[in-house]
Amino acid sequence: MTTSVPKLAIPGQRLGSISAYSAGPGTHVQQSNIYASIAGPVVVDPAISQTNKKSILRVSRIVAGIDPSKSNQASSAASKKKPRYNTLPAVDSIVLARVTRVQKRQVTVSILVVLDDTTPANPEANQAASDNDNIASILTTAANPENHSSTDELRFQALIRKEDVRAVEKDRVVMDEMFRVGDIIRGSVLSLGDQSFYYLTTARNDLGVVMARSEAGNMMFPVSWKEMRDPVTGAGEQRKVARPY
Amino acid sequence: MSNQRQASSASQVPHLSPAELSYLYTSLSLPKTPIRPDGRSPTQFRPLTAETNILPGTNGSARIGFADGTQAIVGVKAEVEKTILSNETLASERGAGPEPTDQEGSTTAAVGGHGSWVQMSIEIPGFRDDDALPVFLSEMMRESLVGAVGTDENSDMTGGLKGRLVINKRWHWRLYIDVLLLSQPLAYPLPLLSLTTHLALLSTKLPKLKSQGEEDPFFDDDWAVAEYLYPRSSPSTGAKISSSSSRPSFVRPPVTLLVISVGENIIFDPNREEIAVADAVLAISITRDTQAGHLRLLSIRTVDPPSRLTQPGVPNSENVNMLGAVAPTDDIAVLNPVTGEEEVPGVWRPRRGGAKRSVISEMVKTVLKKGGVGEEVLEGLEGVEVS
Amino acid sequence: MMADRRRVNGPPSGTRPAVFTADLQLGASATDRAQRQRQPSELRKIFLKTGLIPTASGSSYLEFEPSASLAAARANPKSLIPPSSALKLACTVHGPKPLPRSAAFSPNIVLTTHVKYAPFAARQRKGHIRDSGERDLGVHLETALRGAIIAERWPKSGLDITVTILEAEDDRWWGSAPDSHDASWGMMNVLAGCITAASAAIADAHIDCLDLIAGGVAALVADESGNSAAGTTKLMLDTDPAEHRSILSACVVGYMPARDEITELWLKGDSSKASLEEGDDRSGHDALIDGAVDAARGAHTVLAEAVRESLLRIVGQS
Repeated sequence: MTTSVPKLAIPGQRLGSISAYSAGPGTHVQQSNIYASIAGPVVVDPAISQTNKKSILRVSRIVAGIDPSKSNQASSAASKKKPRYNTLPAVDSIVLARVTRVQKRQVTVSILVVLDDTTPANPEANQAASDNDNIASILTTAANPENHSSTDELRFQALIRKEDVRAVEKDRVVMDEMFRVGDIIRGSVLSLGDQSFYYLTTARNDLGVVMARSEAGNMMFPVSWKEMRDPVTGAGEQRKVARPY
Repeated sequence: MSNQRQASSASQVPHLSPAELSYLYTSLSLPKTPIRPDGRSPTQFRPLTAETNILPGTNGSARIGFADGTQAIVGVKAEVEKTILSNETLASERGAGPEPTDQEGSTTAAVGGHGSWVQMSIEIPGFRDDDALPVFLSEMMRESLVGAVGTDENSDMTGGLKGRLVINKRWHWRLYIDVLLLSQPLAYPLPLLSLTTHLALLSTKLPKLKSQGEEDPFFDDDWAVAEYLYPRSSPSTGAKISSSSSRPSFVRPPVTLLVISVGENIIFDPNREEIAVADAVLAISITRDTQAGHLRLLSIRTVDPPSRLTQPGVPNSENVNMLGAVAPTDDIAVLNPVTGEEEVPGVWRPRRGGAKRSVISEMVKTVLKKGGVGEEVLEGLEGVEVS
Repeated sequence: MMADRRRVNGPPSGTRPAVFTADLQLGASATDRAQRQRQPSELRKIFLKTGLIPTASGSSYLEFEPSASLAAARANPKSLIPPSSALKLACTVHGPKPLPRSAAFSPNIVLTTHVKYAPFAARQRKGHIRDSGERDLGVHLETALRGAIIAERWPKSGLDITVTILEAEDDRWWGSAPDSHDASWGMMNVLAGCITAASAAIADAHIDCLDLIAGGVAALVADESGNSAAGTTKLMLDTDPAEHRSILSACVVGYMPARDEITELWLKGDSSKASLEEGDDRSGHDALIDGAVDAARGAHTVLAEAVRESLLRIVGQS
């Protein structure tokens, strides 16, 4: 570790030797050296496992310091920096998605945001400044029925199969009582799937519907793991609800 | 955009498993002695059958069939067309005033000919006319065709093919070269199309001109006295051009060769499986230099190697299904000296990056050197009887 | 000729600017071909900036410095026709985005490149539909970029790269008759610019790549400095075709300095007559490729600086 690691890297810049570090995301290895493959700040993560003593060298996609307070409004998000969906869903990453179609055996969703997978299922991830920093604005616009525009084609599509909805009583699942079109769900990626769909699962307590509107069109609040209620009319509706934090 | 084909090579990705690709790569990259799937030597071409003048309605035509069943037909048609004097030439004539210097400006235009007089269209089954592959191939072949300029001062071919197309100041020939691939492209079709085009152009005849000078062109009806577009050495043409050696010293249409590098080996005329594991693919166009007798380079283009788009193999150490089945020390990544990548032996990794300059230089040298592949191919084509 | 009927099209064959007799009497100075003022190995300055188009995930804008004669002609126009042109182009990157439903599964990112001249970009007006030259450029650009991108990091996704050329390089000086060397030399300069700009835009979009890939052009031109024998040639980097009487051969490369690798090579013309210095036993095409690589190295310094600058700009916003 004689050579110092640069603070900022551009693609093709040599960062260090493979004998001193192991290569993390945003880097690649060539001729026993680690090179940056994207532009961004260089982060050295301390070694995590006992077997691998080398610290991990990675180039962060997230440029720290984008002011999260400004990006809460959708209007300023456009003027400042567009949210970038260039974190792809990978196996085990947690995503937020909107239900677009409910069928007997499966529901189709379109993935809105891939949450930071360094801190999976952690709500604090939302606070971390990232490309996903204006999740709130994405969700509020996405949960509005008027905003179900044709932009779904630009989003990654995913399926939740009937047997992946919940962990218990899998055979009693009725899709209509789990999801409705327009719901925002939190799910975990099972596999990259086939040519057009990713496969998601919601079979965990913290996964499921996070935002939904009632038949009357009001935003509902969760009352149990399988029911949400309309605050205005008081009517309850069945959902596979994610555990609120 | 969805219907747009992926460019030149992507549609050619063969359906080989990572294990097959790795096996192929290993056998092709054996130092000095690559083992090709069909047992050819690195510089050997696939056997082919060729015939010329098969289409009576054309000025020249040829058919070549490879042993694997891919066939191509090329027809060459020529039309007389009025030369449109360019704006620039007109301007220079007008601007020059009363002095007779305008002659100079217009003769350069007339002698030079114009690249757009040669039109090339390639039809490949399964591809639209404006897909990337046919466009790329036709641009590549047309470029070397019109780029070849003769150096022999006293032949008809000064100015190359373009110069040959000039009839007089106001008239010229327009050449249509239509290439038809008769079967699905099994391999990258460039060598087949280029060889067929070469033969078709060799057999192309233009009617003998009877008019003289700046008259409107007027041709001899007798097809028997028609002249070859590319003059040949046979006595019937009567086109005697000084040749000091026994070597045919006539301008010949260019040939485009497909060359790949795998590891440290350089391999010619790759078939579909071989090109799928290539580190670098070059299309090299050559022609024979009329004066010096050696070969001359006309153009080089890189072709996107399909190996970049292949599916990677998974080493056992990362394979979930093999967890515990093998000791993790079984496959240790070693440095591939050619690509500089860490690779587990026997596990396929898609190629990335480009080619070293030394590799490119070596590939060109193998084509151009005396007694090299380029001469062999041109001599072989010369041997095809043009009736 | 395919014309787009949905638009109001310009005249099909272009128009000629009026030439007034007063201009002709002005003397030869107005209509003289521009001469190269730079050293053979001196490149034109490049302006490159990333992140200018907010709706794209990555973008860049590239401009070449106008040649000395062009700058002079703009400041003090003697003729309606500028002596040469300087390259200006914009590149946008959209993606990674899902592949269309009809597309097959791809373990790698699927690159789509689209190069389009603006109708007013060149002296000869271009149509709105891409012609074969533009498609050809698209394939070249794709070959260059695909070698630089680490494609397996982005499975099942597509990347659209669009280059719009606002001002193109000329193929030759407008005043010289189309002689036998009427090949499209300007296109090679355009390709080099496309490669450099697209590389900056890809870095701006945070797509993994092996190195910033830069484009460079070198050419063998007929020597015009009267003191040498006719027929000798000179190797020049970053040639402006309008400044030379005749270009014998030219070469463009897409080059990655960190790996010393060429992903795209396009060489054409007769390179056999290269008259190199004493003791230089390289063949003509090797010298050309080396020259183009040198030009690309020069462009790479600008490219690296532009990417670093945009990175600092984002970091500095905090």
